[in-house]
Formats: sequence, C-alpha cells, structure tokens
Amino acid sequence: MSTIRLRSPAAFWLALPAGLWMALAVVLPVLLIVWVSLWGGTSVSPNNPITFDNYQRFLSNQNYLWLIGDTLVQTAMIMAITGVLGYCIAYFLTVKVASPGWRVALFLAFVIPFWTSTLIRAIAFVPFLGVNGLLNQALMAIGLIERPIQAFLYSRLGISMAQVSLYTLLASGPVVYMLNSIPPALREAAMTLKAPPIIVFWRIILPLTLPGIVIGQVLVFLNVLADFITVTTVGGNKLAFLGNLILLFYEGSQIRATAVVSVLLMLLMLAGVTLALRVVDIRKIGG
Amino acid sequence: MHWKTRSRLTGWLLGTVTIGFLLFQWAPMFTMFTLSFSGENGGTTFPMNGVSLHWYRNLWEADLFDDFKPPMLRSFLLALACSATTVVLSVCAAQAMRGRFRGNGLYFYLLLLGLMAPGILVGFGFAILTRLLGIEGAWNTTAYVVHVSWALPFGFLTMLAVFNRFDPKLEEAALTLGATRLTAFRRITWPLILPGVIGTALFGFSLSYDEYARTLFTSGSDGTLPLAVMAQLDRQLTPELYAIGTATTAMSLIVISLCAIGFWLRARALRGSPT
Repeated sequence: MSTIRLRSPAAFWLALPAGLWMALAVVLPVLLIVWVSLWGGTSVSPNNPITFDNYQRFLSNQNYLWLIGDTLVQTAMIMAITGVLGYCIAYFLTVKVASPGWRVALFLAFVIPFWTSTLIRAIAFVPFLGVNGLLNQALMAIGLIERPIQAFLYSRLGISMAQVSLYTLLASGPVVYMLNSIPPALREAAMTLKAPPIIVFWRIILPLTLPGIVIGQVLVFLNVLADFITVTTVGGNKLAFLGNLILLFYEGSQIRATAVVSVLLMLLMLAGVTLALRVVDIRKIGG
Repeated sequence: MHWKTRSRLTGWLLGTVTIGFLLFQWAPMFTMFTLSFSGENGGTTFPMNGVSLHWYRNLWEADLFDDFKPPMLRSFLLALACSATTVVLSVCAAQAMRGRFRGNGLYFYLLLLGLMAPGILVGFGFAILTRLLGIEGAWNTTAYVVHVSWALPFGFLTMLAVFNRFDPKLEEAALTLGATRLTAFRRITWPLILPGVIGTALFGFSLSYDEYARTLFTSGSDGTLPLAVMAQLDRQLTPELYAIGTATTAMSLIVISLCAIGFWLRARALRGSPT
C-alpha cells in the first residue's frame, strides 16, 4: 500500500504531463528531422516528393565521408583515454584511499567542475593552452621545453585535451557506482582462497564493474560525437566534426542538408547504444 | 616482490594519475579566475599587467552591444521557471511510476530519451517544428519548453531513486491510521522526499542556466547568457569573458555549497532527534 493505488487512473493522469512534454519536445522534433531530410524538389517545402536524393548528394562527397570518419576516430580516441583514466581515478578513489575525509575531498574536487558551465570550462582552456598560457609557462619553468609550443591551442591536440578534461567524469562515475556496490566479502573470499591481487582484479573486480565501464563509454561516446562547443572554442573554427557541420549547414539555411547530417549522427548514436546494450543489460544495474 | 609492496605501488601510481588529472582539470579554471583580475592594460593571457577589478567594472557599466546584464537576467528567469516546472513534472512522473500504470516500461524509456538525444538534434528538430507551425521562437516560450525537456530526465531519475529508497511502511502506517492518500502524501511522503526535490530543483536550474546547444536553435532574437558569451567570443576574446566565467562559476559553487550545508544540517538534526 502506498500513496498511489496500483494501476489506478490517478497514476496514468499523473504520468501524462511529463510524457506529453517529452513527446512534444523530443520525440516529435526528432521525427520531423527524419521527415525533412527526405524532402525532394528544388525549393524547401513539405509538399515536395519524398526522395533519398539529399543523402545521395551528401554521401557522394568524399570530404564529408572523411569528416564522418574523422569524427569517429576522435570519438574512439577520447573514449579510450577517458575510459582508462576514469577507471584509474574511480579505483583509486573508492578502493585505495583509506581515509574517508580525503576520499570526500578528492571526490568533490573531481565532481564540482561538472556542476559549472561546460562552455565556460571550454573557454578557460584558451588562456591555459595559449602561447603565453599557463601550460607553456609551467613547462618552460621546469625546463622541459625552451620555446612555447604553439600547437596546444587551436589544434586537435588542444581539443582532445579539453574533451578529456570535460568528459572523464562521465566515464568514471558509473564505475565508481559499480565499485561501491561490490560486497567486500567477495574480495576477502578470493584472498582467503589465495588468489593473488591481479587475479582478484581480473576475475572478480573487472567483470563486476564492466556494466559501469560500458555505460561510461556510452555517455562519452554520445557527448563527444555531438560535441561542437569544444571544437569551436578551443579549436578556433579551424577544425570541424559532425556537430560543427550541422551548425554550418543550419547557419547557411540549408535545412535539408542539416537534417541529413542530423539523421546520420542519430544513426551512429543508435548503432553505438545498441552495440553497448548487447554487451550489458542496463536494466540490471538498478536491481 | 611481495604483493603488499606491489599493492602499495599501484596505490601510488593511481594516486599520481588522479592528482595529476585533478590538477589538469582545475588549472584552466584557475587561469581564468586569475586573469579575470588582471589590470586595465592586461590582455587575455599573461602577463596580467597589474591587479584590478577593471573587467568586472566594465561588465557592470557596459551598455548596448556588449552588455551581459539582460542575457544574464533572461538566463536566470528561464532557469527559475525550468527548475519549478521540472520539480512538478518529475515528482508527478515518479509518483505515477510507483502506480505501475499500463505502459510504464515504455514511459521510462520515453523520459530517458531526453537524456540520450544530443542538444544539437533536439534544438534543430524543435526549430523545424516551430517553423512548420509558424511560431516565432523566444527565450521564454520555445526555449523554455526545450529546456524543461532537458532537465526533466535528470529530475525524474533523481525522484525515482528517492521514492525507491524510503521505507514504504511509513506511508502504510499513515494510511492504516485513516489518513487519505492525499493527506498521507502531504504529511508523510513529501517531507521524506524533500531533499530529492531540492536536488531536482538544483538540476533544473543549473542544466537550464548552462544550456547552449538547445537554446541556440530555439531562443529567437533575445539570447541567454551562454549565447551572449559565445557571440562575444566570436567577435573577440576579452578578459570580460573571464570575469563572466568567474562570476557564474562562483555563483554555482555558492549554490552547491549552500545546498550541501543544508543537507548536512538536516542530516545532523534528524540524527539528533529521538526516533
């Protein structure tokens, strides 16, 4: 017994507003994008016949195919880096830090930037990476380099550094959650049975945290694939990924081309998420 | 090597990685904070040419072209509205999920979709929708609808977790003692879920306040703060942007710490009271 009766009309009516809101603001717009991407004809109008011409035109351009490949390579790279880094940090914070006070402090230092604006954090990389920036100054101060490195800012390297900084928490958070839910008795049992620590990690800890790793990777995948803010702020408009192409077409009022790229982006995301769901069952995590 | 030595070694190694990452994560923000206090002749990089509040004063006194006050006010009002709407919708939705109405599994995925769909797609799609309907986009109408759809999944998940955590016996006791469902909700459930509600409100506020991609496509001519910041960045990077960044970051940190302190005081008060 609870304050809401099972299968009551009240439950249905309570659920309705949020459901309608999401249907109107997310599902319908996404479906509209698919529809617009199929509009044919010379003028932009819903009355035109449905064709795949827009896709053909887009995919026959070699440059755009390269751009898609480039975006995927960048995404895979960031996923790998944030995955390893995020796991190390999660493992250190939950397993290796003994004092609760330190754990909380380090964890807060890790999480707090996530609550501030991504745009501002991306902009902050400009004075950090620039020729007179903090990173160059620090490297010169310890004598690692003699002259400032120009390639940090407005380059792929700079974008990648910013993305790693922005998205490692996404890869790490779910792992922290899974590590915390492992009963200590499991590790003790394995240790009692004389398993060396590496085997304990490899046979017990890693498989049990796998769902966390996969979810983290999905989050990073979705975010990097659609990221255009970091690329414009830190990349200085010199580079473009799929997200930037969408914006570029939209600003050029090429609605159908924008829709085509959007649909391709969506398909890539769907493929990624489906693949991840094959590896782990997300629904099992809550229970 | 003995395994204990090796374990300590991994500890040190992972610790170095963690501390290194934390430094790397905070260093850009500290660079920005520091440079926002640079002198009148200071630029966007070092040297600072003195220490002053010049750029903050510039921000305050600016008019017309690079005035950030109206966008900031719009962002603030929009975030407040988004926060309030998100709280109401997610409490209703999560409470409804407890009633296990028909199709609740599908409903769960419908709400989660907002979390997965990237802002650039949602924003663009919504722009098409409004164009087809012939509606003019504005920060307080179309952008508001889209912002709520972004914050709602976070609030919904928070509230689901909160509803799953408290002891259902407390509600049962109230109902057995003759309280109506509405009274039991108001007097028993609501105080229990209040921390979660505050968390949801925070989510609603900060997600809306920082949102860029969705707003870009839906806000019409009067933009919000992130749009104004981006527009200024397109024209020229100035220390004023650092001042804005520092100010908004400081504001978020203050709000977070106030809430943390509130939770801590509440937890302490609950622990102290006889049960």
